[in-house]
Amino acid sequence: MAGILVYSNKGTLALELLNAAAALARVNSQGIKAVSINNSGMAADLAARGAEVYALDNEALLPADTAAIAESLRQLAEQLDVSIVLLSSDRRGKELAGRLAQIWRAGCLTDVKGLQSENGALLCIRNVLGGATVATQQIVNDRQVIALSPGAFAPAGELDGGIINPAVVEIKPSALKLLEVREKAGDSVDIEAADILVVVGQGVENQQDLSLIQQIAKALGAEVACSKPVASDKKWLGEERIVGLSGKICKPQLALILGVSGQVQFTVGIREAGTIVSINSDEKAFMNSMADYVLVADLKDVIPELAKQLA
Amino acid sequence: MGSQGESFDALIVGGGLAGLAAAYTMAAEGLEVLLLERGDYCGAKNVTGGRIYINPVRELFPELWEKAPLERHIAHEEVCLMSRKSSITMRYNGAELKEEPYQSYSVLRGKFDKWLAKEAERKGAMIVTRSRVDDLIMEDGRVKGVIAGGEELRADVVIAADGVLSFTARKAGLQKNIDSKNYAVGFKEVIELDPGVMEERFNLNGNEGAARLFMGDATAGKFGGGFIYTNKTSLSLGMVVGIDALAENPDLKAPEILDRFKERPEVARLINGGETAEYSAHLIPEGGFKGMGELFGDGILVVGDAAGFSMNIGVTVRGMEYALASGYYAARAVSEAKAKNDFTRSSLSVYAGLLNDSFVMKDFINFKESLDTLDYPQLFTHYPELAGSIMKDLYQVPDGPKNRIYSTIRKYLTMGEIWGLLKLGRRMMKI
Amino acid sequence: MMNIVVAMKQIPDLRQIRIRNGQPVLEDVPLTFGNIDKNALEAGVQLKEALGGKVMVVAVGSEALEDTVKEALAAGADEAYLVLDGKLENSDSARSAELIARIIKGIENVDLILFGEGSGDNYSGQVGSRVAGMLELPQASYVRSIEVNGNKATVVRSLEDCEEVLEMEMPLVLSVLADINEPRIPSVSQILKAGKKPREILDIEVPEGVQVKTISNLAPQMQRKQTSVESAQELIQVLAAEGYKGVK
Ligand SMILES: Cc1cc2nc3c(=O)[nH]c(=O)nc-3n(C[C@H](O)[C@H](O)[C@H](O)COP(=O)(O)OP(=O)(O)OC[C@H]3O[C@@H](n4cnc5c(N)ncnc54)[C@H](O)[C@@H]3O)c2cc1C
Ligand SMILES: Cc1cc2nc3c(=O)[nH]c(=O)nc-3n(C[C@H](O)[C@H](O)[C@H](O)COP(=O)(O)OP(=O)(O)OC[C@H]3O[C@@H](n4cnc5c(N)ncnc54)[C@H](O)[C@@H]3O)c2cc1C
Ligand SMILES: Nc1ncnc2c1ncn2[C@@H]1O[C@H](COP(=O)(O)O)[C@@H](O)[C@H]1O
Repeated sequence: MAGILVYSNKGTLALELLNAAAALARVNSQGIKAVSINNSGMAADLAARGAEVYALDNEALLPADTAAIAESLRQLAEQLDVSIVLLSSDRRGKELAGRLAQIWRAGCLTDVKGLQSENGALLCIRNVLGGATVATQQIVNDRQVIALSPGAFAPAGELDGGIINPAVVEIKPSALKLLEVREKAGDSVDIEAADILVVVGQGVENQQDLSLIQQIAKALGAEVACSKPVASDKKWLGEERIVGLSGKICKPQLALILGVSGQVQFTVGIREAGTIVSINSDEKAFMNSMADYVLVADLKDVIPELAKQLA
Repeated sequence: MGSQGESFDALIVGGGLAGLAAAYTMAAEGLEVLLLERGDYCGAKNVTGGRIYINPVRELFPELWEKAPLERHIAHEEVCLMSRKSSITMRYNGAELKEEPYQSYSVLRGKFDKWLAKEAERKGAMIVTRSRVDDLIMEDGRVKGVIAGGEELRADVVIAADGVLSFTARKAGLQKNIDSKNYAVGFKEVIELDPGVMEERFNLNGNEGAARLFMGDATAGKFGGGFIYTNKTSLSLGMVVGIDALAENPDLKAPEILDRFKERPEVARLINGGETAEYSAHLIPEGGFKGMGELFGDGILVVGDAAGFSMNIGVTVRGMEYALASGYYAARAVSEAKAKNDFTRSSLSVYAGLLNDSFVMKDFINFKESLDTLDYPQLFTHYPELAGSIMKDLYQVPDGPKNRIYSTIRKYLTMGEIWGLLKLGRRMMKI
Repeated sequence: MMNIVVAMKQIPDLRQIRIRNGQPVLEDVPLTFGNIDKNALEAGVQLKEALGGKVMVVAVGSEALEDTVKEALAAGADEAYLVLDGKLENSDSARSAELIARIIKGIENVDLILFGEGSGDNYSGQVGSRVAGMLELPQASYVRSIEVNGNKATVVRSLEDCEEVLEMEMPLVLSVLADINEPRIPSVSQILKAGKKPREILDIEVPEGVQVKTISNLAPQMQRKQTSVESAQELIQVLAAEGYKGVK
């Protein structure tokens, strides 16, 4: 297998990619090529994991300029003669993946959550049909761009033998102006790491009930998560708490799900939980059919009751 | 389309069989018709048991039947009387069941209605799905059109084809009192089953189909019955229960009745290995002739279930032929009204005349008393229990000498009861 | 005046897909456009309504698309450009992107090309980036708002942890988030008029090969207990029995 190049603009994700690349190459991270862009800290970090780091230092290169980053990676992929580029499947990485694949003439898959090697073929595992099914797919091109879901692989550990090389690419001046970067408000909760999740769906009708739900979560030692509309439409909770296809894929031991109908884009984010409890007034809600314990009841009554009982 | 915005010859509310039959027939006659259906597509949410009788409507739609996506022609008829722990099955074999033209077919509405909608569009009808009619436009007590999604749509005549509890007919003041006694609830599942397994299990040759009807403990002794029809690659299984019966036993939940039915060994072995693909529940008008509302008004006609054209005959329901035929006759009435350019109540009364001369009203008048006769609990509890006990005695070999058959029967049946059973048997063969 | 292209993908209605023997059953499932693609269309229509111009839907897919596209024409698009081929029912992103780019190259003076952040079924977020790459246009994905001033657009790209406000020159490729707007529901007369809007079916040959092969596609097996509990109290009891901390 010709070389593998990894790139993410986020340090932790880059380390995950490094680990995945090592597994693919059936070696340790030594010899795996990693790119850092305008980030000497990340270059050092990657090198400390044994990677052969190519550090691009060019102030004209904006991470926000997908076209320019894709073009830089294409040039590096050709200079270094790799056949696989691994990217992270966060928003930045997904946007980049398609563009790089196009200009480098590669096949591409994103949101890949598992990799398998079978008879020399590299198989990618990812959700399709909105999460209803899990497909095993293969890119048949020689060149492949694969974006890996955050958290699907553990970060690479420390290793000797890393090295940092300077890298040079030629890019045109950017056609895009970054006017402003606004940090997103919201706490830095990590629902993926929680052992227990209390998930708020649209069946929770009163925003006031959120404080009771927080009490319930506290009593259980749980984090509060939610379905997408609760964050995106109602803005009751931050987007980092969304469970599902466009949110987080969570595997808690216990998920207490309050008033979620259970469409695939949601369930894909919770179906690997250990125990699932669904509370819903609609007996036929799809969520109930994939729960261990089902309580058919009105949340207006159940939430105060649970809060009281657990207090 | 007319000059003053959206205006049509006829506007049809509801794209079930009744509405589609009306749309098809009117479009074929060159009228500008718009049909509004709230479902994702025609047939998406329409519930039926699953058997349609073609003979009464064959001539009304001569071009349709050859290509119609029907499932299997019913060549095997069985009725099963269930008591709590036993049952008797009556099988009817008749040469006519296996001869073309076939009398009845199993049918899946998801496919059939979707197809009929395409055929109506081919004739020139406009069909808009995912569009719910929210109100009628009434001017001087006359229906002038409908309101859908906040928009006014006008037409010379509106056809209420929106099914049971027709909102349109009620709005127009044609359907006044709603008496729960006049309604039943139907529950139905489509269970996918390997066709090879099905053909073997039901003794089917090629595209033959079977109808299995169940009564008695099937509905926990309540007015109604259960059915299974074989489709090409699935079974339609369901039951029909009176609302009053359900209301009397609040503890008896609908899904449980259906589950109990499916667990009966007589049923379980037929559906074994199948996978439930659809579940639905729906109201059924069964007030018969007496429960019917008015069929026409100024600028409006009522067809199909909306008009109450569906009949519960003990174990099964008939409604699809009535829906198709009433849609057809409504279309004819509109054509005549159009020729006179008169859409008043008296002009549209032609519809009632056409129906009276057809099988639709004849059937309803014939069965006028049927609901009352059927509504006596004996039919659903006493006879099946009785029949079950007799058969048990017949086939059980007791320790001592076995009674002669005649005395076994006598033990349970009085002459009156024998007479009753005979009558019941005769009626069932008509179903 | 703006010429706006919106790329929309025809997909099976995901709510109606059933699973049989672990496999998704797609027969008889009605086709529609992906939800987020409807947001992209709405964004285009809103810009057109504010600034004048034309919204053109571009879609490549199976023959049924000729019917499905009426949804877009009813919801405000003015014209449709389609490539229809049975092979496209299961196309991969690269081939779809190539066809879309070829259609767009044939349209004059395009200012803005809109995509959904991800298609409803595949949700891979690739096609828009690929088209931008092929047409060598600047791009931004995960766009939450678009403002146009002359030949410049100010867009907000929403990432996991921050938002970027970008000023970009048109022509331009943007992929939008579902949060950008609430798509309108077309009225009956708009639906009726949609049937009469121009639909051009292009005679572009569809390449045979795909770059992505699907080896298997299975519904995950889920073994769940499916036990009903009657009350909050009983729920707490069963969870306590399973040993969850905090549950007494
Ligand atoms: C490409 C794409 C990606 C998506 N990604 C995601 C994602 O990552 N995460 C996500 O969540 N969604 C996602 N969605 C949206 C998803 O399709 C659903 O719309 C969403 O999950 C529905 O959220 P919900 O179940 O909370 O709301 P609803 O579907 O409205 O369900 C509310 C439920 O609450 C019940 N209920 C109502 N009132 C009460 C009461 N008083 N007591 C008890 N129960 C009650 C109802 O019976 C119902 O089951 C995505 C959609 C698309 C197209
Ligand atoms: C369980 C069960 C078993 C049955 N078994 C049989 C059988 O074996 N044989 C038989 O012949 N009959 C049977 N029937 C009866 C038969 O199904 C009905 O009589 C028949 O479907 C009536 O057709 P319809 O077109 O009048 O009404 P429907 O099929 O109910 O169509 C009404 C349509 O109107 C639409 N609609 C309603 N309101 C609006 C609105 N406001 N705006 C727009 N659209 C609207 C609905 O979505 C629907 O599509 C059975 C019925 C049930 C429930
Ligand atoms: N076959 C297609 N026809 C038209 N547009 C498409 C097609 N496939 C994808 N798109 C567009 O590309 C976006 C991203 O798709 P995907 O890369 O599949 O997630 C979609 O939201 C659509 O806007």
